[in-house]
Amino acid sequence: MPEQAFEPKIIAFLCNWCTYAGADLAGTGRIQYPTNIRIIRIMCSGSLDPTYVLKVLLEGADGVLIGGCHPGDCHYISGNLKARRRLAILKSVLKDAGLEPERVWLRWISASEGAYFAQTVTDFVDHVRKLGANPLRMEWAV
Amino acid sequence: MSSMVQLSESSKAGSARGPQGPAALLAGLLRELLERGAVAAVLAPKPTPAGTTVTQVLIADPEQLDGIDPLAPVQMVNAAHILRELAREPLEQKIAAVLRPCEVRATIELAKLKQVSLDSVVLISHDCPGVHDLNVYLDAVAGSGAEAVRERRLAELLGEGEAGGGKKSAGGAALRNACRQCMHFTGDSADLSLAWIGAGESGALLEVHTDKGRELLGRGAEAPAPAGRAESLERIRAQRLAAQGEEPEELLTVLERCIRCYNCREVCPICYCKECLMKPEKMGYSPERYLRRAQKKGLIKMPVDTVLYHLTRMNHMASSCVACGLCEQACPMDIPLGSIFARVGRNVQALFDYVPGRSLEEELPVTTFKEDELPGVEDAKR
Repeated sequence: MPEQAFEPKIIAFLCNWCTYAGADLAGTGRIQYPTNIRIIRIMCSGSLDPTYVLKVLLEGADGVLIGGCHPGDCHYISGNLKARRRLAILKSVLKDAGLEPERVWLRWISASEGAYFAQTVTDFVDHVRKLGANPLRMEWAV
Repeated sequence: MSSMVQLSESSKAGSARGPQGPAALLAGLLRELLERGAVAAVLAPKPTPAGTTVTQVLIADPEQLDGIDPLAPVQMVNAAHILRELAREPLEQKIAAVLRPCEVRATIELAKLKQVSLDSVVLISHDCPGVHDLNVYLDAVAGSGAEAVRERRLAELLGEGEAGGGKKSAGGAALRNACRQCMHFTGDSADLSLAWIGAGESGALLEVHTDKGRELLGRGAEAPAPAGRAESLERIRAQRLAAQGEEPEELLTVLERCIRCYNCREVCPICYCKECLMKPEKMGYSPERYLRRAQKKGLIKMPVDTVLYHLTRMNHMASSCVACGLCEQACPMDIPLGSIFARVGRNVQALFDYVPGRSLEEELPVTTFKEDELPGVEDAKR
């Protein structure tokens, strides 16, 4: 069987109030963006336990995008800023584990930024394409 | 602001020098506290009846303070774990807890996590000589006796240099990996601590760090810090810093040995959750799911999620990890978890300029934030 071209598989955790609504706006506005992304809606970027990001990476996803409200806009006042701290910890742990922190992006995207959401997904897919497939995809001992 | 106090002669139950000096001084102080009713009980390490190792005991009878051994080069549990039970809620009377510096720091983290109440606990610490992992210690004691093992540890600390992890120095037993890298081996976070390293001829001095400590002590002539102390501490820290620079083993490679027994979590003073997210039943795994996962990759390691377990634990507790190394001692598969968690913890803590257990006032990094910080975590170019 010929080697298929690499298509990144990306999981996105999007906050209900901003980024998910931004994705919705991109959809209703008929803005095109790559189909490599699978969206999981969460109530707040601050509610995302890092274990879910880890699990997704260890199971072989090529990238994880986390979307939250802009600082000051969080529906729960400061969940996004706590998420930023958690992500900083996660990236530090990934680095020490010899894994690739650059496969995880955190972005602030508001409900009115449909075009920016589409652009972010496009950029992220390009970025992950350059990184190549997640070496953990076929790693069975994790 | 801390100050140094010379312990009065009455509380010197022996020479301040020699390997038993600091322990005897502490026993004298505790006896006085217990006899005048300032505390109702003392939590401290004491040799087991058979004398092979040293265990935590809760002492209510002053006579039983004889022979306590807070500086023994062995640590069965992190005593903060015991305080999680003993000081879960405030008591009517006070308890004095004689703790190693890593145990003091873990206790302070637990107080911030609302798992320990410090209202009725006085934290008393000392310059820690570091410990051997239990197996190494038991072997050494079987060979030459507890007293010789203790003396050799102190001699190594103060002069000859420290034995490497797994390796044995000339005649000495290997120090615990976490201890070889430990920079916070003085009891600065406690209410009171005994400063004996570099104390020289003047003997050990009691360092008073808090008002609580000052109130409890209620006396004592102020003394200047011993001249040789700063230099001795600096020399030990330089050795420890060098040990931190050693090339770590590949994490995913060493974790291949994990059998997910959860021992490291059970002995961890910081991992306190009653219900752990990492139980397979919590993750909602069904037999069907294992099969699906195996079909996806072709094969999967059983038990599953050993790497996920450790990385999750790191994410949850690395910001509060006091690097006591108990996880490594508890590991039946000889995974060097102590140095792994120490390194991961250092890097995480550096992000927030946080030292776990340094101060009760500093907020836990994961419960707070600054509006403008951590450039590069969210770094959209717009």
